[in-house]
Amino acid sequence: MSRNEIRIAGAGGQGVVTAGRILAEAAILCGRAATHSQAYGPQARGGASRSDVVIDTEAIGFPLADEVDLLVILNSDAYLRYQPELGERGHLIIDGDCAPEHLSRHLCDSNVTKYPVVEKARLLSGGQLVAGIVALGVVQAFANVVDTEALREAVATGVPARHKELNLKALEAGMQLVGGVRA
Amino acid sequence: MTDVKSYLREWAMPHVLCPGCAHGIVLRSFLVAVDDLQLDQNKVALVAGIGCSSRLVGYADFCTLHGTHGRAPAFATGLKLARPELSVVVVTGDGDGLAIGGNHLIHAARRNIDITVILLNNSIYGMTGGQVAPTTPPGAFASTAPGGNTEASFDACKLLIGAGASFVARVLAATPIEMTKLMADGMSHRGFSFIEVISDCPEYFGRYNKAGGGAAMLTGLTLRDEGVAVPLASKRFVNHVPSSAPPPGITTGVLHREDRPVFVGVRKAVDDES
Amino acid sequence: MNRTELIQGNEACALAAVAAGCRFFGGYPITPSTGIAEQMVRLLPDAGGVFVQMEDEIASMAAVIGASLAGSKAMTATSGPGFSLMQEHIGYAVMAEVPCVIVNVMRGGPSTGRPTAPSQGDVMQARWGTHGDHPAVVLAPSSVGEVYELTVRAFNLAERFRTPVIVLYDEIIGHTRESVVLPGSVDVVDRIKPDVEPEQFWPKAPAANGVPPMPAFGDGYRFHVTGLTHDQRGFPTEDSALTGALMTRLNNKVDDHVDEIVQVERFMLDDADVAIFAYGIVGRSAREAVQRARTMGIKAGMIRPLTLWPFPDVQVAAVAEQVDAMIVAEMNLGQLIGEVQRASGGRTEIVGHLRADGEPITPSQLLTELTDRNEAAR
Repeated sequence: MSRNEIRIAGAGGQGVVTAGRILAEAAILCGRAATHSQAYGPQARGGASRSDVVIDTEAIGFPLADEVDLLVILNSDAYLRYQPELGERGHLIIDGDCAPEHLSRHLCDSNVTKYPVVEKARLLSGGQLVAGIVALGVVQAFANVVDTEALREAVATGVPARHKELNLKALEAGMQLVGGVRA
Repeated sequence: MTDVKSYLREWAMPHVLCPGCAHGIVLRSFLVAVDDLQLDQNKVALVAGIGCSSRLVGYADFCTLHGTHGRAPAFATGLKLARPELSVVVVTGDGDGLAIGGNHLIHAARRNIDITVILLNNSIYGMTGGQVAPTTPPGAFASTAPGGNTEASFDACKLLIGAGASFVARVLAATPIEMTKLMADGMSHRGFSFIEVISDCPEYFGRYNKAGGGAAMLTGLTLRDEGVAVPLASKRFVNHVPSSAPPPGITTGVLHREDRPVFVGVRKAVDDES
Repeated sequence: MNRTELIQGNEACALAAVAAGCRFFGGYPITPSTGIAEQMVRLLPDAGGVFVQMEDEIASMAAVIGASLAGSKAMTATSGPGFSLMQEHIGYAVMAEVPCVIVNVMRGGPSTGRPTAPSQGDVMQARWGTHGDHPAVVLAPSSVGEVYELTVRAFNLAERFRTPVIVLYDEIIGHTRESVVLPGSVDVVDRIKPDVEPEQFWPKAPAANGVPPMPAFGDGYRFHVTGLTHDQRGFPTEDSALTGALMTRLNNKVDDHVDEIVQVERFMLDDADVAIFAYGIVGRSAREAVQRARTMGIKAGMIRPLTLWPFPDVQVAAVAEQVDAMIVAEMNLGQLIGEVQRASGGRTEIVGHLRADGEPITPSQLLTELTDRNEAAR
């Protein structure tokens, strides 16, 4: 079994649900099995939001995240709510704007990396709507969980046509963030 | 004269109604209206709830659905939407249609679905033995109002006009010819039509309120003046007319009629994605 | 042609319904089932069907019954509190023998409970929710793909036996997106129409399998439909012999076809000495726990009913005969465990792994259950 659990969490309006769904779509394009789940609550807007993707080469047993391998956190609130499921050997990617007081303990760890995801999204779109897609680029460059071409295709078909170019740019920008850091 | 027997299930007789009950007159008037309209007997569906009025549909030789208490308009909605060529008529009573089924009735009216509802109002629960109804006049007696009814009552027609019914009429069971005409009118109307028939219940309302037998109760309703029926108010028979209210009267005939879009189901989605 | 799609359980349910021939949906919004209605309203107009949002769940079921009597395959979908309101007309559909499908996406209860939390708290209500003695056919998918399969099956069973069929799953399966292979076409069963002249037609005269042929209103057969106890002409009766005959026939329709209706998944049971009994989403956890336990040398297996009602007595008894213990895992405080005990007849130890706190039962929890038992046995 090669089960991979990825969680992207942030605030409502950062596009994390769309990003997770697109990642799962990309996995299917690569011939893998995938599930995608999101947090539901009575609030339609705002608040913390999360998107879980399970990808496996075989049929997926339990469809929800149990021990997250890769956790992407886009704001401090989401960190507090959605960090506990991070597996013992899991890796945390955290947005550069997250308030350091909550995170200091983890920032010392070798399994935490910080990227300016939200800032990049703002530069691209003036808002945070594509933050999830930037995060997706980071996930891909970092963990290489699906074929990059499949991911591009899933982004292109998974967002409204009028936002396609912007989102593809956001994906590339996310991947470049990791390239820059690693270089 | 119309041979109504061809529209009856005689094998299902004798019927369950009490002597003096006017509900049979209502059924006959309806059958004559169906005959006058030359409706295809196979394409008429009667839908009823629970109660004395609702039992009428069992004796009528159409497709007949004897549903659950108060829900007839909801059954009828599914029936009509799935098979629009059917003429769908709901037969209900004042307890069935206005108490337990009040919500279904007003929403069917609001949608303006193309069905006809005939509500037989006898101001009391007959089938269960004379309990107070949402149409029982204030002060009138019932088995669950032994000291006289202390609640206000509905005016069914006003309620239905408010809910959006596009055809609303009231008629007395004592005037069968007018009743047939209004029923035919209502069934021909495109949209939701509602006909309240002021019927009687000598067995319970009559006894509890000393209103006399069937004949006395019905003739009391025929003292009319220019479309206004004057009930025997002292006998507290007709709904929403307190015994103390002067001058007692209820308006009959077509009370409301309008043309507005008929509900046939949800439209195809408008694709807003470009 | 088959195609793979990433869809939610609720979407799969709607797609399957339309593929099975459903042409009427009447419903009322309620979390977490609403996604089904939102799909049906998009699918039905193109399929030549009708969607209506009714004023409540009582009316939704009534409209579904009306539409089915008019000849349409009809469905509604709801959750917890809405399922409670539908019980009146589920009974009516049993009595009047009106085929229809009710989907209940279970959420935490009782009452309004936890609208967005998963639960398996309605499995007994699905059996006994409406009053009186009555048969029940209840299916429980454990994945998005199985939601598709069992929704199609629900329509087919409803049509074949002229009875309401309930599909029960939970919030997780309803909302989770999974990759599923959607078949290009499905096998569809339609209700049998009468082959006698209208004058000879008795609406409740059963065919050999106990199921009366069923024309639609408007087909030229004029008949009476009632929720009152009735004779073969469909007319109310107070005759005790006729009452008994009707009650027996209604229940035997299902009881005599248990082998056909009941489906069970047996997983790694052949040499198992401990089994997990699980259904719906918990079946997914159980399967994974069994796989992990096997790698640790524990001879574990799983029995997972896809049909909850009628209850798979024979299949459960066979497992009970074989294993030393059966762990019944369900997301409620113990509902089907009683049935497992009854069917097992004391032939094995029955242990409950029960949870009703709005959280799913996870593979790790069940694995711990298996390893702890294994340790204790040594």
